[in-house]
Amino acid sequence: MDLLRSLIPFFIFAAVYLVIALLVTNSYYQLIITLVLVWASFGLSWNMLSGYTGLISFGHASFFGLGAFATVLAQRYLGISPWFMLPISALIGAGAGLLIGLPTFRLRGHYFALSMLAYPLAFFYTFQWLGYPEVTVPRVLDNPALYMQFSDGRVYTVLALLLLTIIVIVTRMVERSRFGMSLVAIKQNEAAADAAGVNVLAWKLRAIAVSGAIAGAVGAFYAVVILVITPNSAFGMLVSAQALTVAMFGGVGTVWGPIIGAAFLIPIAETLHAELGSYLPGIQGVVYGLAIIVLIIAAPEGVFWKARDLFMRRSDTEREFEDADVVTLPTARRQVTDETVLEVSGVSKSFGGLKAVSDVSFAVKRGEILGIIGPNGAGKTTLFNVLNGFQKPDAGRIVLNGVDITGLKPHQVCLAGAGRTFQIMRPFKRWSVADNVKVGAYARAEDEADAEAIARDAVRRVGLAPLSDRIASTLTTKELRLMELARAVAGKPDLLLLDETLAGLGGDEAKQVVDVVRGLAASGLTIVIIEHTMQAMVQLVDRFVVLDHGELLAEGLPENITRDPKVIEAYLGAKWAAHG
Amino acid sequence: MSATEILIESILQAVVAGVSLGAIYGLLCVGLAMIFSIMRVINFAQGDFMMLGMYAAYYILIGLGLQPLFGDIVGPYVAIMLVAPILFVFGWAIHRTLIRQVTGIRTAEMEAEGHYAQLILTLGIALVLQNGAMILFGAKLLSVRTPLASDAWVFGPLFGDAILIFLNKARIVAAIASVLIILLLWLAISRTLLGKSLRAAADNPEAATYMGIDVDRAHRIAFGLGTAITAVAGGFLATSYPFHPFVGLEYVIVMYAGVVLGGIGSVIGAFWGGMTIGLVQQLSILVLPQQLQNATIFVVFLIIVILRPQGFFGRVAERT
Amino acid sequence: MAEATSLLEVRGLSAGYGDVAVLHDVSIRVPAGAFVAIVGPNGAGKTTLFKTLSGVLPAMGGSITFDGEDFSGVPAHDRPHRGLAHVPEGRQMFASLSVRENLEMGAYTEAGRKAWTDNIEKIYAWLPVLAERADQLAGTLSGGEQQMLAIGRGLASAPKLLMLDEPSMGLAPAIADFVFEKLMEIRRDTGLTILLVEQRVAEALQLADHGYVLETGRVALEGTHETLKADDRIRQAYLGM
Repeated sequence: MDLLRSLIPFFIFAAVYLVIALLVTNSYYQLIITLVLVWASFGLSWNMLSGYTGLISFGHASFFGLGAFATVLAQRYLGISPWFMLPISALIGAGAGLLIGLPTFRLRGHYFALSMLAYPLAFFYTFQWLGYPEVTVPRVLDNPALYMQFSDGRVYTVLALLLLTIIVIVTRMVERSRFGMSLVAIKQNEAAADAAGVNVLAWKLRAIAVSGAIAGAVGAFYAVVILVITPNSAFGMLVSAQALTVAMFGGVGTVWGPIIGAAFLIPIAETLHAELGSYLPGIQGVVYGLAIIVLIIAAPEGVFWKARDLFMRRSDTEREFEDADVVTLPTARRQVTDETVLEVSGVSKSFGGLKAVSDVSFAVKRGEILGIIGPNGAGKTTLFNVLNGFQKPDAGRIVLNGVDITGLKPHQVCLAGAGRTFQIMRPFKRWSVADNVKVGAYARAEDEADAEAIARDAVRRVGLAPLSDRIASTLTTKELRLMELARAVAGKPDLLLLDETLAGLGGDEAKQVVDVVRGLAASGLTIVIIEHTMQAMVQLVDRFVVLDHGELLAEGLPENITRDPKVIEAYLGAKWAAHG
Repeated sequence: MSATEILIESILQAVVAGVSLGAIYGLLCVGLAMIFSIMRVINFAQGDFMMLGMYAAYYILIGLGLQPLFGDIVGPYVAIMLVAPILFVFGWAIHRTLIRQVTGIRTAEMEAEGHYAQLILTLGIALVLQNGAMILFGAKLLSVRTPLASDAWVFGPLFGDAILIFLNKARIVAAIASVLIILLLWLAISRTLLGKSLRAAADNPEAATYMGIDVDRAHRIAFGLGTAITAVAGGFLATSYPFHPFVGLEYVIVMYAGVVLGGIGSVIGAFWGGMTIGLVQQLSILVLPQQLQNATIFVVFLIIVILRPQGFFGRVAERT
Repeated sequence: MAEATSLLEVRGLSAGYGDVAVLHDVSIRVPAGAFVAIVGPNGAGKTTLFKTLSGVLPAMGGSITFDGEDFSGVPAHDRPHRGLAHVPEGRQMFASLSVRENLEMGAYTEAGRKAWTDNIEKIYAWLPVLAERADQLAGTLSGGEQQMLAIGRGLASAPKLLMLDEPSMGLAPAIADFVFEKLMEIRRDTGLTILLVEQRVAEALQLADHGYVLETGRVALEGTHETLKADDRIRQAYLGM
């Protein structure tokens, strides 16, 4: 199985680590060896949310601290064993994640990070006020193992390794599924993900629930190992910072990152703390702080990626010469039917006082290729944004396949059958072409295998099959455009909205892309394409809609449009038309 | 004294305390807003710059022997004013060596990633400053002592003969000084060429470059100014509240709450935001236990951010 | 025209974003006192060219010589002080500053500050709408007014060369015509050297002494209005037939 194979390096690491851990008898070093695993696990929890979605959390201590306090208090006051509390803490963490995520995901960027900071601080003061300045785990004398208490510290290491293994497996499973790919898609380009049919909020909530569950369990385990919990050691800023630091140091968005980060940083910080802590009481924090600073300046994506990029670059330059070219597909004859796929009636959209689109109406027939053109600032992109749900129109109706889609969210519009590409390409750079396209396939796919099959088909249809294993960052502009096209095609749309797919392409390149788009239309897709210039478009489209200053200026066959004095004036100026 | 009178007295007392503390919070917030509005950098370490201001005021006062020189009353305030140039240079240097690497026009196009780099870098700076201060200064609680802290102006009796309002002199002096500093700053920003060029650099860094404004330098000045302002506010706070190396964390949310409330990007809005937070905090004592005071601020902060991230006092909202 | 009177001399310039070159081997000459226009369809690299000239984007190859000085080592914020004014695409107002403050920022250069009292009167005379709205925030102006302000701001720096990037963009035809008329009036009055990038080919080429047609990052054609007008390739570039 793929998953198992991908875990082999981790199992090798775990085995080596276990051997080393079992050989160490000094109880202090044992503790450090255990803590490395604990913080690596916590780093993976942070990574699950922030690494994959790109929403930076400064408040993972919330989940960690709740787990830790729940476990200690449950044993102390209710006599419940940590064995039982570990999964309960995971549930608490997941619940807290959902409760915190639901309001907080309305925010992005700075606001999100800062709000996440406020939660653990609020918990910090609340637990202090509740009268828990310090809670110790009661020693159990009879059958201590029932309460996860062991005299041999190595047992904790084994348990920690087990915990980490479970978390790594969960992370790997997430990473390789539509869950993980949807998260990364959100991170790379939330708008594009949304347009590709990814339900952004739902995936974010799942991510924070899983992340909170892991953090809750890790917090519970930490309490058992350390035996004393204070609001500061549970909810303190250093706790959140540690999760972030180990993950970022090692590398964000990979299972290895937090493990590498913890293996590097925890021993240094702990040793310094033990050796110098009495003279230099804040030395741990200074180490983490400096690690963050050096990291952000020198290798902002972490040790893992830096090393991987260095390695990849070397192997890529070797491959440079085998330039597998795009396959040109034979163009089939195409049939335009009388059936209306898209009907836009009276759509208007203003921003402040500016009328970006005003009272635009047109219809598109099945199998047709419609070109929307107009000078800079004519309102073309705004029109697209309204069509695919990024913006709500102020007035008007949009009907797709007989269904009113006016005001639907982008992922709903996508499911209703309209896919789109973007003027500014944002490929998932580190992924292969096939994986990039797969994100688009999830909207329709039954399962992973189905998604792969759909993606493979889409890649083939745009002629990129020979390049399907290439990493996106090595593609040319034309190949990227085709990949974007494939991603939209993978959503199995009836209607494809293409935003300046030909922009910036030279004559031959544009011709190749034009052929691909024609091929898609021949296979039954309906296509609406925006372009600034008519050059390549004249060869491509059946009909033009010309926008100028947000209004529909002209509509008709290419040969008529290019002779229309109004159009010539809009493009080349009144004087040109007059000399005509 | 009747129950109503006691209630009225405690409410008035809380309002007075809230306004005077709010003015200092306002100054704290203005420092943060200065940096944010001009550079679009959320400085996580702002609370720790404030902490440095507190220690700087303390050591200047003790170390330079200002008390015998200027007297017990004026001495501490001279020390606090001297904090400004020192922390300005500090902020300038932090920007020059670190912040600059992840900000500016170059990274403006990086969108999300650029912002995260700033946030995380300042988190690192915060950790180093807090823990470094712990190593250098120790965990002992200190304060900038002024005899005014234990002295009050008494107003009253009001409404009959029972109600007396106490105005703590140290806080009132600090509040008035804070307001004066903000007025000066406002004049400087709105009237001088330097101030205008800072605003232009904030408004549209690319266009500012086309005007011949060195945006990088403008950012350095803004960062230095913002640091100095918050540090001076810290000095004022230190005359009424004891401090320690981790004190920044207690105030960093106060600052953010104020800035967000005031409408992120608006320097004057930040003052009113800080003022509001001061009032809310002091009034909350009437109904909530003292320990939950800070928790209240966090809750208020969350409510503001979630309900109205564009703030209540500021201009039109930021888009990101 | 003799080589020595060249105010701006661009030789073999290539530039772009990241690793991707948008401009390839572009050479352009702007003689002192001339009005030069660069036209070309979207994506041809016109704005990239301007950003490289004003130093916001680094050049990947080739040279820029301005007023006899090699510009390669001159940072972007120093170029205005040497006499190069860039009126950017999309106006780029300081929206939160007043109209007057915007103009003051235009006069941030030493030359601009020295000439301020004189200049501001002239600017207000050419563009009276700016005088009327002097205390209004620039963000509240209409598109046409913003374009006048952008031009006024460029003039306030007392430049040797005024570079205008698509001043007609997003403006109604009548207003765009008005902007062009104003430009001609200013040029008549001052003899200022102007480099214009425009998508409205006819107007741009008619106003200019000399034109360049940029296509996919290369200079496809150059010449006077008449020679370019006679060439069918412009029409083809825009209309595809």
